[in-house]
Amino acid sequence: MAPAPGPSAAAPETASLWSALRDVRDPEFPISVVDLGLVYDIRRAGARVEVDLTFTATACPCMDFIRDDVRDRLLKEPGVEEVEIRVVWDPPWTVDRMTEEGRAALRRLGVAA
Amino acid sequence: MRSRRLPRRSARSGARPPPHRGRDVSTVDMETPLPEAVRTGVRDLVLVLADSKRLLGMRYAEWMLGAPELEASIACSSMAQDEWGHARLLYALLRDFGEDVSHIEHGREAHEYYNIELLDRAAGSWPDLVALNALVDTALTIQLEALRESAYAPVRQRVGKLLEEERFHGAHAAAWVSRFARSSARARDAMAGALQRILPDVLRWFGPDSPSVSLVPAGIVDAEGSALRVRLAERVAPLFEAVGLTAAVTEPDFTGFDEARRRTSRSGPDPDTLARIRGDKNRVFLMD
Repeated sequence: MAPAPGPSAAAPETASLWSALRDVRDPEFPISVVDLGLVYDIRRAGARVEVDLTFTATACPCMDFIRDDVRDRLLKEPGVEEVEIRVVWDPPWTVDRMTEEGRAALRRLGVAA
Repeated sequence: MRSRRLPRRSARSGARPPPHRGRDVSTVDMETPLPEAVRTGVRDLVLVLADSKRLLGMRYAEWMLGAPELEASIACSSMAQDEWGHARLLYALLRDFGEDVSHIEHGREAHEYYNIELLDRAAGSWPDLVALNALVDTALTIQLEALRESAYAPVRQRVGKLLEEERFHGAHAAAWVSRFARSSARARDAMAGALQRILPDVLRWFGPDSPSVSLVPAGIVDAEGSALRVRLAERVAPLFEAVGLTAAVTEPDFTGFDEARRRTSRSGPDPDTLARIRGDKNRVFLMD
């Protein structure tokens, strides 16, 4: 399976949205959902945005918080009026999906990644 | 990082965010059209897996404070959380079958549960719990593996994540069976007894080879019951050998076997178990 699109491969119309989601931190680690590799894709059609989002574990109790934070942040972007979040589990999240920036942040926190 | 995932999270305190625009969907692709008979079979299989995982999670949770050592207690907590996560993910699929998922999770009576009957009541001892870990958990994993290439996309898209989370459960069971095997004769006998006692029921759980609704021709699962029995026996053979047993596959007695629920017992979880898995005592606090 091809790697999920990431911020570096973002189309021009979604680049600002990827950037906006760097403001959304994981509730437990001060690392953005983008650097954790939880955002698999962002698509935009006019005022409507679709986000493919995953979680580190199927029993992650922070799912609702992260979902709400992602939606709330995107709705603050100019012209965004509707956000649909699709929770995906394929391909499964692993630490390999973290960005180098995310790994560096984890190491600073004393967690080996 | 020690494991494949981040440390367990604790729920964030504070008020929930305000209501939002937009909506969530739980699947990437919409319902895959299935022939009616196959559809019923898939629905039953999803419920069999979900209910068994919810009950297994509860059996693990019961040892979060009682396991022989702290590491084992933590492992039980972690495995319980995994199983409940998997159950929730699987229950959510039933929405595609027109089910009221909230009712499925909180409203059913005991005889409506599709869990493997070995989980109807609590494990009586640590060897019994290890045997459930080694056999029931592994059987659920083997059934999930049979769905890896499933024509039913919503299941196929989840199974990889579930199997990845299950790897540690198998390792935990193997480590404990091997510890019992190397310990005193009494410990080894207790472990052997527990495994031997439940193996026939676990093997039967995979069902007959000519079920009324076969999911193999439809490409939902890749094998019938007998092949899955062999896969299980091969997987657990080293554990059985360690305690001086052979994991023999015999053709189960399917007299009175309910293919949909995969049980012979017409009842279900005992009353205490039922109250806890449904969350009866929490109902007064539910807000949504």
